[in-house]
Amino acid sequence: MVPPVAVSPVIKTARWSALLIGVFYGKQRFDYLKPIAEEERRTEEAEKKLREEQERIYKQLSEDNSDTILQ
Amino acid sequence: MAQAVQKLVAKVPTLIGAAVTYSKPRLSTFWYYARVELVPPTPAEIPKAIEGAKNLIKSFQSGRLAQTTVKDAVRNGLVATEVLMWFYIGECIGKGGIVGYDV
Repeated sequence: MVPPVAVSPVIKTARWSALLIGVFYGKQRFDYLKPIAEEERRTEEAEKKLREEQERIYKQLSEDNSDTILQ
Repeated sequence: MAQAVQKLVAKVPTLIGAAVTYSKPRLSTFWYYARVELVPPTPAEIPKAIEGAKNLIKSFQSGRLAQTTVKDAVRNGLVATEVLMWFYIGECIGKGGIVGYDV
């Protein structure tokens, strides 16, 4: 087996500091996106209820209008 | 259907045993290399790293960049890509998932 290579300290510090910075960045972005997503979910729920209500009314109206004498 | 599930469940210990036997030597080679190459820098190496980075910046400024061979440039590019990938792995750890943010 090839003996393990001695990695230069620049590369080693760069790798592990990149790992740490990545962890912090991921955590920060997650905390930033979480309330935005909850807000979106809430608005989507409210709009969905409104839309379903309107669809119900539309259906109701079209049913009422569909019994005509013209078959 | 039940019989097939029973046969599978009976085979699981042998499967686990086979997986362990397969992975042991590979894990040991991985550990053999990782113990030297992938360890974090000791506190004594950090000033050397900072000095190395300063040397790098100086060589950028002095225009020695134009003298790197293509082979060296490709190698340095690969190393830089690997360091970038460590950043993305850190981001995956920080956001608690592999694909996308689980908000």
